[in-house]
Amino acid sequence: MALLEVRDLVVRFRTHDGTIYAVNGITFNLEAGETLGLVGESGCGKSVTNLAIMRLLPKPAGRIERGSVTLDGVNLVALPEADVREMRGRDVAMIFQDPMTSLNPVLTIEEQMVETIVAHRAASRAEARKRAVELLGMVGIPHPETRLRSYPHQFSGGMRQRVMIAMALALEPKLLIADEPTTALDVTIQAQVLELLQDLTARLGTAVLLITHDLGVVAGMAERINVMYAGFIVETAPTPELFARPSHPYTVGLLHSIPRVDADEGGELVPIEGVPPDQRRAPVGCPFAPRCAWRVEACWTDNPPLVPLEPVSTVVATGPGATHQIACHNPPLPEEARTGRPTRPGFVAAPPPDAVFDELAVAAPDLEGTLVEFPTNDAREGRR
Amino acid sequence: MTATATPARRTAPARASRGLWRDALARLTRNGPALLGMFFIVVFVLAAVLAPVISPYDPIAGSLANRLQAPGTAGHVLGTDLQGRDELTRILYGARISLQVGVISVIMGLAIGGTLGAIAGAFGGAVDNVLMRMVDVLLAIPGILLAIGIVAWLDRGLPQIMLAVGMTNAPIFARILRGSLLALREADFVVAARSIGATPLRLLLRHMLPNALTSLIVAATLALATAIIDVAGLGFLGLGPPDPRTAEWGTMLTDSTKYLREAPYLIFFPGIAIVISAIGFNLLGDGLRESLDPRLRR
Repeated sequence: MALLEVRDLVVRFRTHDGTIYAVNGITFNLEAGETLGLVGESGCGKSVTNLAIMRLLPKPAGRIERGSVTLDGVNLVALPEADVREMRGRDVAMIFQDPMTSLNPVLTIEEQMVETIVAHRAASRAEARKRAVELLGMVGIPHPETRLRSYPHQFSGGMRQRVMIAMALALEPKLLIADEPTTALDVTIQAQVLELLQDLTARLGTAVLLITHDLGVVAGMAERINVMYAGFIVETAPTPELFARPSHPYTVGLLHSIPRVDADEGGELVPIEGVPPDQRRAPVGCPFAPRCAWRVEACWTDNPPLVPLEPVSTVVATGPGATHQIACHNPPLPEEARTGRPTRPGFVAAPPPDAVFDELAVAAPDLEGTLVEFPTNDAREGRR
Repeated sequence: MTATATPARRTAPARASRGLWRDALARLTRNGPALLGMFFIVVFVLAAVLAPVISPYDPIAGSLANRLQAPGTAGHVLGTDLQGRDELTRILYGARISLQVGVISVIMGLAIGGTLGAIAGAFGGAVDNVLMRMVDVLLAIPGILLAIGIVAWLDRGLPQIMLAVGMTNAPIFARILRGSLLALREADFVVAARSIGATPLRLLLRHMLPNALTSLIVAATLALATAIIDVAGLGFLGLGPPDPRTAEWGTMLTDSTKYLREAPYLIFFPGIAIVISAIGFNLLGDGLRESLDPRLRR
C-alpha cells in the first residue's frame, strides 16, 4: 500500500457566482520517500488538491464532493477535525509559496517552532528548544542559538523559507507538501532552497508532493510528474520518461512554451493559444479541446480517461518504473511532439460540434461577416 | 564555496532583536509628533495626579469676595471664576475627571467591543452576522446622541458618563477587531499554523489576537482623545457630574458662557486644556500607528 492514495478526488467550491469545478476526479499514489511533481498552470487545481489533502479547504465554500485521500491507511476525508489536527504537522506538513507572509510577524522564531514541537510531542520546552536549534542548524541558518530569538522580519526571504522548512520537518512528517516553495524567491536562492529540500527529505525519508508551474523545478527534483489541467490529471510518467516522450498535447504545449538553451530546429517557442476553460461550467468533453491543435471530434464530447500510453499487463502506479499514462483521444506523434505542431498531412483540428459551438459562441461571439460601419467626417459632410 | 556561504555572510552581524514591542518603542521615540503628544499626555496626567500638591486651593469652595479676578493676579495665575474659585486649581482637578472617565470608558469600550469583535471574528457565520448587525445599529446612532440617551436613561453620574462614552466607542472597537481577525483568518501564517496542527484556541490567542491588537491599541489611544471631548461635551450640555460644583472642563465652559465679555479667559483656559489633552492622545495614536504597523516598517 502506498503512503498516500488519492482516489477519484472531486473538489468543488460553491460561490455566489455558482459552483467552481476545481478538481474533477483525480487519482494518484505516492510511495514513502518518493518525490512527485504536480505541474500545471494557475487555476488547474494543483493547490486545491494540496489543500484537500491537508483538509484546509476554505470553509464553507470548498468541499470534497467525492473520493478519498488515504494517508498510511487512514482516510482523511472522513476523519474528525480533532484527528485531522493531530495528523497535521505530525504526518503531513506543508511549505507555502510566500515565506514573507507565512510566519507570524509578532512571534519570535523560537516561540513558533517550540510551540509546534510542544503541541505534538510530550516534550518539555527546553527539549523543544534544543530541537529547534538543531533544526535551524540543519537548514543552514548560521548562529541558530541567536537567530532563534529573532523575529521573522529580521530574516531575508530565502532564510525565512529555510525556517519554514525547518518548522515543517520539525516532527519528521511522512509527507511534505511543498506548494510553489521557490516561486517567491530569487533565482539564485531558489536553487539553494531546492537543494536543501531535496537533501533533507532524502535524509529523513520524507515523501514530497511538489506543486509548481515551473517545469524546471520539477525536472530537477521530482522522480515522477503528474501534469494537471482544469482539475484533471492529463498525463503522468516518471520524470525522464515525461521529458523524453511528452505525449499529451498539453504537456507538449508546456514544454514548447519554455525557452531552452539546447534548442535544435524544433526549439521554436510555440505558445498554447487561448485560455483555460471557465471552471464555473461542469466539464464536458476534454477540457483542453478548445486550445488543442490535435483535437478530433470525440474530444468535444467525450473526456478521455487516463490510460497507459502503450498496452501493459499491469499498471504500475508509483516508483521510477511507473506506467506512462495519458488522457487523450489523439496523442501527438513523437515527431509532432518535437516540433510542437501537428504535421500529419491533411490533419485539421476538428471544429466544435453544433451543441458545443452554441455554448462557446455565447462566450465569444463570432464576428466574421458582421459589418459595422463607422462613418468618417468626410462621409457625413458629403451627405450634407 | 558552499550553498550556505552567502546568506551566512549576510546575516552574520545578526542584529539581536530586542523584541517586537521594544522595537516599536524605539521607532516611537524617533517620531517627533508622537513625542510631543507624549509630552502633552505627561503634563495632563501629572496635572491630574498632582493637583492637590500643586495647588493650595479648594476646587469647590471659593470666596465670593475674590470672584472674577483677572489672570496674573497675585496668587491666582489663571484668575478666578464666578464663585471666586482659583481657575488653575479647577483645571487641574478637571484633568482628574477627564482622565478618570476617559481611561475607564475606553477600558469599558474595549471590554464590550473587544469581546463582541473577538466572538464575531473568531466564529464568523451566523454569529458574526447577528453581532455585526447589532453593532451597525449602534454605529448608526451619533455618538454624542447615544451618550445623551444613556445618561438621560440612567440619570446623571460619573459611572453613567463612563458607560455612555464607553458605549459610543464599543461598536468601533468591535468592528476594528472583527475586521482584523477576519483578514487574519485567511492570512498565510494562520493557514501555515493550521497546517502544522495548531488548535482553534491557539490560533485565536497566539496567532490572530496579538496581530489584531496593534490596530486596537491605536484605536484605543485615539478613542481617549474622543472620550475627553465627549466628556466635556456632555458636561457642556449639562449632563456632566451630578454635583454642579465639580470641576469638570465641559461644565466650566457652560458656566462661563454668560460671562464671555467680562471674563473670556474662563472659556479660554478650559478650552485650551481640552484641546491640548485631545491633541496629545491624537498625536500619540498616530505615532503608534506608524510604529506598530508592520507594513510601514523599514
